[in-house]
Amino acid sequence: MSGRQNSASGSEGPHPNGRRQTESAEGTVVVQTPDRRLSGRALDLREWTGTDLDAAGLVAAVRRSRGDGDDGPRDEGAVSDPEEAAAVERSAAVACPDPGPAHEYVGLVEPGMALRVRTALAAGARSRGLSAPQDEDLASVRTELAELTVPDADAAAARERLAGTESAVVAGRERVATIRGRIQAARDAGRETEGLREELRAAARELSEIETERAAAREALERAERRAREARDARERRRRLEDRAANLARAVRAHLVDALREEYVTALAAVPGSDRTGERDGAESPFDVDSVSAALAVGWVAELRAPVVLAVERFASADAAADWLDAPVLWV
Amino acid sequence: MLVVAYSRAARGSLRNVCRTHEESIVRRFGRVALLCETAFAAFQALRLRAKHGSDIQIERTEPFNEFEALGEEVRVAAEAYENRETPSLPYAAFAARNDHPEPDELRDREL
Repeated sequence: MSGRQNSASGSEGPHPNGRRQTESAEGTVVVQTPDRRLSGRALDLREWTGTDLDAAGLVAAVRRSRGDGDDGPRDEGAVSDPEEAAAVERSAAVACPDPGPAHEYVGLVEPGMALRVRTALAAGARSRGLSAPQDEDLASVRTELAELTVPDADAAAARERLAGTESAVVAGRERVATIRGRIQAARDAGRETEGLREELRAAARELSEIETERAAAREALERAERRAREARDARERRRRLEDRAANLARAVRAHLVDALREEYVTALAAVPGSDRTGERDGAESPFDVDSVSAALAVGWVAELRAPVVLAVERFASADAAADWLDAPVLWV
Repeated sequence: MLVVAYSRAARGSLRNVCRTHEESIVRRFGRVALLCETAFAAFQALRLRAKHGSDIQIERTEPFNEFEALGEEVRVAAEAYENRETPSLPYAAFAARNDHPEPDELRDREL
């Protein structure tokens, strides 16, 4: 059963959003482990899992696939997470089309998955080539941010230098006062004071040196604080740009989500095995549903070229899932 | 102690610290917070700086006592100017006319 070419046109009928069914040839995926190889558009890999293959490793392999992408080989260093890298080591190699923007969010569908539904839906809109009126502004703010350099505002060294001299001056003064007291006591007792007076002169010299150093340290700190103030002006400008970029990004997402909201709601109602009973309280947000249903609905709306790794039992077969999602599917 | 955040990330961390350690916070205004004068509050402020570097500014504040920090003539001048009869009269002219301190002289005078 596993590994057959997907030639069926799908028992569920045409894709409900009316998009053209992808030809099986252009959606062909090849999964290879040291001792097994499968190709097709809808692959049932459930027998493989647990041995040398798991869902996380498989989706990592999909995302690392050189595929048939025309944007050249991607950076090997893209996988920086050592756990992910290890998962890639253990599992299969996958040849498939490059994942688009939506794959990052719904390329792996598994129970208990965390999904930011609106963000995912916005990525789904991107996968279909939609854009937002704020795109240009956002890009230019991001460019400005990337080009902005902010000077360092660290005056810690100057503060530390001054803090040392402050306590040294206090200690020096105490020492001078102590020697003076001893000289007085010696005088009162009619003892010799010459040695003590020599000691006093040395302590006074030392105190004067410390006071000079403190004055220099204070001046240095003042200079450092002036520089820090200017640096903070620059950081303040950067923070305003960051806020602007975040506001624009929110507006972009809202626009993209709005564009696909209806399709998404339609898809959600059609998700197989959803725990939504359909006729629930109309006020309930379509984004406040179980994450698997939401991910499948986003997947239905999005244009997915790379295979979706399915680790849920929502479809009767890999073929049914691939037809429903209109995307290649790896069922694990 | 006054803690000021200069980036979105630093502001987020400051907000979290304020939420978690209410007892150490006197007041928070957006990306600025006034912290208690305790070593624990200072520890929280230094944690923020360790995480966000120069995007966190820490200053120590002092209560302002106008009866200590200022001569009487400044307090009197402020009171008198706010109660002036001609609202459009600039302070420089008001000061010259009523024998209050000149604005430039005040600018050069440190507290």
